[in-house]
Amino acid sequence: MNKLLSLALGAACSVGCGGAWAQTPAANPMPDGSRDMYVGLGAVSAPRYEGAGSRKVSALPVLQVQWSSGFFVSGMSAGLHLGVSPTFEFGPLLAVLPGRDESGSGTGLDGIGPNAVAGLTSGPLDKSAMLMRGGQLTGIAEIGARLQGGVFANYYLTPQWRLTGSALYGSGREHDGARLQLGVQRLAASLGERHHVALSAGLTLANRNDNQTYFGVTALEASRSRFAQYAAGGGLRDAHLGLRWNWTWTPSWLLTTNVQAERLLGSAKDSPLVERPTNVTVSTAIGYRF
Amino acid sequence: MPHARRLLASIALLLAAGPASAASSSAGELRDGEWVSYRDAYRVMVVFEKYGGPKNFLQSQLQVLPRERGAHLDGLQLTLAGKSTELHLALDALGRTRLPLQKTAYDENAALVLSRKGVPFTVRPQVSIAARADGVYDSAELRAACVQALDFARHVDAGARGRQCVGARFVFLDKAEGGVRLRREGGGEQALPAQEADDGVQAVLVRFGAQQGQVVTVNAPLAILPVFE
Repeated sequence: MNKLLSLALGAACSVGCGGAWAQTPAANPMPDGSRDMYVGLGAVSAPRYEGAGSRKVSALPVLQVQWSSGFFVSGMSAGLHLGVSPTFEFGPLLAVLPGRDESGSGTGLDGIGPNAVAGLTSGPLDKSAMLMRGGQLTGIAEIGARLQGGVFANYYLTPQWRLTGSALYGSGREHDGARLQLGVQRLAASLGERHHVALSAGLTLANRNDNQTYFGVTALEASRSRFAQYAAGGGLRDAHLGLRWNWTWTPSWLLTTNVQAERLLGSAKDSPLVERPTNVTVSTAIGYRF
Repeated sequence: MPHARRLLASIALLLAAGPASAASSSAGELRDGEWVSYRDAYRVMVVFEKYGGPKNFLQSQLQVLPRERGAHLDGLQLTLAGKSTELHLALDALGRTRLPLQKTAYDENAALVLSRKGVPFTVRPQVSIAARADGVYDSAELRAACVQALDFARHVDAGARGRQCVGARFVFLDKAEGGVRLRREGGGEQALPAQEADDGVQAVLVRFGAQQGQVVTVNAPLAILPVFE
């Protein structure tokens, strides 16, 4: 029961978090033919790209829909709950991984990119230096958005605690990157409470193809950029902590706020593209439940 | 920077307007802490309905719990209120009611409110053992009911797998009603002591033993709750 709002608005993170972790909302039994939908708008302050020392503030659209069939859309993820047990959820999962261009801006769905505002928060690179270089990742090849496919599985130790996992394939320049995400979540409070706080922690493992795309620097890129050539390997990619606070005003309106901290690890952390291995993403949005 | 300021200003306006518009749209009907989302309640309660295991000795109800200690629910009803739905649900002395599972109310994103304002509350599901009209409970049947309840608890909570059924707690409104006797198979009866529970009601604990027999109640209990340890 306490899975209610704790995971209800996962969209904010999947749209705004640098890590773009796949979201799998808790199974939501409902009458046949019904759906439970949240739509919202807010703002997110996030690193310009994973590992960037500077930040950007963007508009944050929020979308989460669950249907009685078990199908769900949560931000940049979509999937299907196949399990029938309240303690074990699993099913197929699709997730869109935003692309990255020379300015470092991730291009998410719902037109986040055009609304991005640079330089709101100061970073180690001053604005004039960035302008002189024409952007932080000048010379690094653009990466398009990627559709990843895979599976998810969540196991509830108790109704408040769940272990989460997902395996996705299709990231990377050649669509041959793979990521495995493992985590634990402490879900939110009981029915009728206005404030729900959920905590999460997890690890991401990535194969070499994935890490090389987002953290590697090829010889060609090195020759035309300020970065040294770098060959990224596979393995542990990041560890992350999250805190979500949902404040429900009425059955329809709520405010969802999310803070995510990510620490890049291993080969990703050592990349010359990484200016700051630990990054924090903060988002808040007003949502309406239809 | 001007774009950023505009964006932040817009968000701030939305934040400021959100609660106000929410309150005005419900015309003051939904006061803070005095409603529960029907969808959320439905989501919890439907699990029992969909449960495929044995449950013939059990009943599932939604229990209203006042947030303020000592607050009473006497004479109150729970109202299911949606755009085209208005259903008044009587509460028993423990604040429980059977929640109707309605598609219309779900689709309207209805709210559950109490019939009197000024009583902040939460709700929780409660699975209990159904009372018998004759007031006589065979101990084997009582144990089977407890096992059904435990199996359901394990179905929804993996943390309950280490627990065992040890008894049943008969709950009465006051001491005068709380007569529970244990009638042993070989003959003889024993009156079981009642104890006052936290919320002022009387509870009689019937512990399962090796001996078979019957549990006899003088008055119908408010609830019979399985006891796991």
